[in-house]
Amino acid sequence: MLTVSLINIGFTIFNLLLLYLFAKKFLFGRVDAILAQRREEVDSATKAAEAATQEALNTKKEYEEKIANVDEEKEQILADIKKQGYVEYERIIGEAKKKGDKIIVEAKHNAEVENERAKEVYAAQLTDMVIDAASKIAATKHSAADDKELYDKFISEAGAKNE
Amino acid sequence: MKELLTELLMEEKTCFRIPFGDGYIDVYKSVVMTWGVMLVLFALILFLTHGFKVHNISKRQAAVETFVIWLRGVTGGMLGEEGISYADYLATVLIFIAASNMVGLLGFTPATMDLNVTIALALMSIVLVEIAGMRKKGVKKWLKGFAEPMAIVAPMNILEIGIRPLSLCMRLFGNILGATVIMELIKFMVPVILPAILSLYFDIFDGAIQAYVFVFLTSLYIKEAVE
Repeated sequence: MLTVSLINIGFTIFNLLLLYLFAKKFLFGRVDAILAQRREEVDSATKAAEAATQEALNTKKEYEEKIANVDEEKEQILADIKKQGYVEYERIIGEAKKKGDKIIVEAKHNAEVENERAKEVYAAQLTDMVIDAASKIAATKHSAADDKELYDKFISEAGAKNE
Repeated sequence: MKELLTELLMEEKTCFRIPFGDGYIDVYKSVVMTWGVMLVLFALILFLTHGFKVHNISKRQAAVETFVIWLRGVTGGMLGEEGISYADYLATVLIFIAASNMVGLLGFTPATMDLNVTIALALMSIVLVEIAGMRKKGVKKWLKGFAEPMAIVAPMNILEIGIRPLSLCMRLFGNILGATVIMELIKFMVPVILPAILSLYFDIFDGAIQAYVFVFLTSLYIKEAVE
């Protein structure tokens, strides 16, 4: 028990180293490999989650922008429509005005024509009256007083007809 | 009593002889015992660590992982951050000494009861301590370290290289021998029941404590060397 044998010390040292290498490779090595793998997985999962969050945020931003654009677009469309409506309105009003003008011009023309016709009728009546008067004057003996009365009558008749 | 001690201490240690050159190499029983312990440990490790998975781990794997992390925590905690790379070796030594001390439960003579085994363990420890110091500080600074804090203590520091492993090996050897002697005496006096109870203390508790003390002191030396 107390004898010291170098060769047996050597054997034990060799045994110890062997045991250490074995434990290092199989016990600690295997456990470490699993732990490292697990850590890697956790890391990659965390990274994936971060990426997904980032992507979601980006998409959200994109949609928000789109929505903002929709508002703008709506405004644009409304403005366009308003403008178009205004143009249409202008056109319609313009047309109406033109039509009105035309009607007025036509009416004026018609009135003139009518007026002309009336004048002609009046002139014809006047001629008839003059002829009538002249014939009356010619038929009757006449004095200055009679002439005056006749003229007055004629004038008043003519004025009444003309009114 | 004296006969018992003589029997224990002077027991024939040679298990078998290998012819070598003109003479023989005596292979001691303790070395054969170490082989046995190693074989059991190898088989146990191979069985316990086979088919490890990352997900859906078995209870066996969970237990092994917990045990390894805990063991590393124990040795790594004693070593400190600087010496953490030696944690695996010390964990192995802890397992080996604990296992060796506990074979007494099965009726074998513990390998650590042979001075040669404890000398080997202590030699490994002191070599590891000095190598750790050299690796950390460089050979020059490591040599200078002997003259610290004062040049006059250099002889003491050099003596320490011898004293430390001597105390390590003698403590382990003495404790295991003492436990065995006491157990033998108790078995001689009260052959039933009491030896079973005390064997729990001496083989399991004392064995584990001695393994822990050995590893604790070695890690303390390494920590001191790498600081």
